[in-house]
Amino acid sequence: MGVSFVKVYKAYCNKLFLDNMVKENLVKDVVKEPYKYGFVTDIETEKIAKGLNEDIIRLISQKKEEPKYLLDFRLKAFKKWQKMDEPDWAGLGYKQIDYQDIIYYSAPKQKEKISSLDEVDPKLLETFDKLGIPLTEQKKLTNVAVDAVFDSVSIATTFREELAEHGVIFCSISEAVKNHSDLIEKYLGTVVPASDNYFAALNSAVFSDGSFVYIPKGVKCPMDLSSYFRINSGDSGQFERTLIIAEELSSVSYLEGCTAPMFDTNTLHAAVVELVALDDASIKYSTVQNWYAGDEEGVGGIFNFVTKRGKCLGKRSKISWSQVETGSAITWKYPSCLLLGEESIGEFYSVALTNNLQQADTGTKMIHIGPKTKSTIVSKGISAGNSINSYRGLVKMGTKATGSRNYSQCDSMLIGDQASANTFPYIKSQQPNSEIEHEASTCRISEDQLFYLQSRGIEFEEAISMMVSGFCRDVFNQLPMEFAAEADKLLALKLEGSVG
Amino acid sequence: MEIIEQIKTNKLIDNPTDIQKICLDKLQSRPLPNPKSELWRLSNKSKFSNFLNYSVNEKVRNSDISYPFNSQNIIRITIGDNSQISLVEENYSIQQLSENKVNAYIKEQISCFDQNDNWSDLLNLSLSCTKNILGLKINGSKIPPIEIFSHASSNSLKAKTLVIFLEKNCDIELLQVNLGKENSSLSQSTFFCLEENSSVNHGVVSYGENKSNLLNSLNVIQQKNSEYNLGSLHFKFNYARFEIRIKQATGSAKTNIKGMQITKKDEQISTYTKIDFNGPNGFLDQINKSLADDKSHAIFEGSIIVPKIAQKTDASQLSRNLLLSNLAQIDTKPQLEIIADDVKCKHGATISQLNEEELFYMRTRGITLPEASKLQLSSYFQEIISFIPVSKNRWDLLDKLLNEN
Repeated sequence: MGVSFVKVYKAYCNKLFLDNMVKENLVKDVVKEPYKYGFVTDIETEKIAKGLNEDIIRLISQKKEEPKYLLDFRLKAFKKWQKMDEPDWAGLGYKQIDYQDIIYYSAPKQKEKISSLDEVDPKLLETFDKLGIPLTEQKKLTNVAVDAVFDSVSIATTFREELAEHGVIFCSISEAVKNHSDLIEKYLGTVVPASDNYFAALNSAVFSDGSFVYIPKGVKCPMDLSSYFRINSGDSGQFERTLIIAEELSSVSYLEGCTAPMFDTNTLHAAVVELVALDDASIKYSTVQNWYAGDEEGVGGIFNFVTKRGKCLGKRSKISWSQVETGSAITWKYPSCLLLGEESIGEFYSVALTNNLQQADTGTKMIHIGPKTKSTIVSKGISAGNSINSYRGLVKMGTKATGSRNYSQCDSMLIGDQASANTFPYIKSQQPNSEIEHEASTCRISEDQLFYLQSRGIEFEEAISMMVSGFCRDVFNQLPMEFAAEADKLLALKLEGSVG
Repeated sequence: MEIIEQIKTNKLIDNPTDIQKICLDKLQSRPLPNPKSELWRLSNKSKFSNFLNYSVNEKVRNSDISYPFNSQNIIRITIGDNSQISLVEENYSIQQLSENKVNAYIKEQISCFDQNDNWSDLLNLSLSCTKNILGLKINGSKIPPIEIFSHASSNSLKAKTLVIFLEKNCDIELLQVNLGKENSSLSQSTFFCLEENSSVNHGVVSYGENKSNLLNSLNVIQQKNSEYNLGSLHFKFNYARFEIRIKQATGSAKTNIKGMQITKKDEQISTYTKIDFNGPNGFLDQINKSLADDKSHAIFEGSIIVPKIAQKTDASQLSRNLLLSNLAQIDTKPQLEIIADDVKCKHGATISQLNEEELFYMRTRGITLPEASKLQLSSYFQEIISFIPVSKNRWDLLDKLLNEN
């Protein structure tokens, strides 16, 4: 009785002083949690010289023993990139990137050919262990196959044999170039052409590694596939490329995670992800992005300029993007769906949390081309500190998209009066027999709700965490089990000590 | 685009006024707006150059113009007709501002103009001669409704400017009518200054004829506790842009906007709004409707800006669009830029065609399809039209719109 009275009284006091507390302490205390993945693995690496020119591209291609068509693809992309201007329309303020000051290929030195995990440098295994991604046979995650990418190369892929039994190909893109060249040649660059945008062109010219997934006709992938990207070296950029192809009647759930050490310089991450879904195929692509975000002063952190796009080529195909974006100094990312096939479905579920001086400009593009296509967008932005969190999305109904529908919902939550939340939805329709609905709202953590929770004996921070979690519920529900728990925890950690 | 060439070579105006000089200076290095900027990227290039294709011609043929009849209790003013306005009654006064006062105010405004964002105003003020700039100071209460006209003349580009100061505690109904003529361009800029506790029901009705173009810009500054209600309707223009910029200078003001644009044939009509909350406790309720038929293109871009100072702002913006043809297109972009945390801001957008279920319902009651569509459209229009302060028996806008169909 006594205890609960004290709690209610405490809550009452909190309520009384909340205004002042919110104003004075909230901003300062947001995200005190240190970045726990900020360590550097001391490992001998093989790096090429800094800079970007045709010779460097030839060298990367040669190191990877690539066929001629791929080298041509890279060189063509490089030529296009040279003619392009770095985009500035998002109004993201960042120091100009010196593209000649980046190392475009960096790989941990190891034996030439690795036939089993036993031959992987233990330091690397240890690194991934520390990141919560154990790769060794005894420890590996059950029912999730992992492709671990360290700087520019893929280190290991687990469960390969099990997947192969079902005909599923899951390997690094370099291996796929060697072993499944026909598929690479057929699909690479078909969803995101080299000339698509500045960073896609750069990636096409210098991409180092990434994952390749091929799900044959009629196969439901027996386990979740996952790639874990780790940037280790401070002066090299990461330019991975992921290609997922789901043949007719197949389905796959793919997870992506990323971390990087803490450096006081900015590192560039310009990835390209291409998804292709044929008739009745379904791809679910989930990301928990936790790159290093820089310190409180905004020093260091990853520039995350990523192009992700899926093509629903087949009838009734479905591509679903879900993402939890908490890291990176600057995020610039619009996972998109080209809905070509009749009755194809595109989905985008996103939670973006920004703090301190982080900037996130993220959203999606749903391009309805085929008839009876449907898309859903649910975006939740939480901005704290001095950060800028923007939703920027495009919904377009083409002339042939009869009977198509889109629903978008973008909610923003502001924590503190220094953060900024923007919503820029671009909506375009050329088809009268289609419907588009968009809604957006902005709110803050309600004092009444806080008071209510506290009066029930829930600690202040826990109450905040519960409310944030509730705010993001629609998106978390879409994440695979393993990720949902992690995402919830991640947000709670990031917001620890944030209010009051 | 002769005008642009003349701006570049400084040969547009023989004896420019101070204001014209300042504006021309601002335009000289970059006489055209940036076609890649958000405000201009969707603007149809050939239509825009058609707007600029007419030369500035000061001759007015009054016979061109036909206004609805005037009833006695309405004050009617035509911009550029040279008459001096001075109405001093017991309860109110409407007086023309001296040239110096108008110029001083405009200069103050221009000083913070951006070449791209305020291009329409800069062009207007470069072209507007003293005769076509009307400044009014309105004071008092129980003021009869006011109608202010701007009209274009065939085969020419006309620029008219209106400056209105609404004094404290003043309350008016003002209808502004912009009339386009065949093969003409009209540039209309309006500057509205609402003092504390003042309130205005402002109607802007613009309609043209074949191949008429319009560049209509509205700049409103609201002081504390003022209320600004805007009902606008734009239709029948080959090319029309309506730019609305509203600033709640110190917050605690109310703004209600209900606007509509109707495009047919190959017309392009766009509405751009920017609402700036510069103080706490601001309120906005905005709805913009578009209807696009045939091969036309309707555009709406609205931005709500809530800086840190504007706590407790309550703003909502809704864009509702009807797309009636396979060849027509609609672009809409309602956007929010928020820094203050204790605010309620929301926006929504929909694009669809006429509701099939409603149509079906009416048809089962024996109403024919054209009649049912007309009924639906009239309810769609009615919400906006009823907000425009016009007398129904003189300006039957709904009739006008429906019979156009």
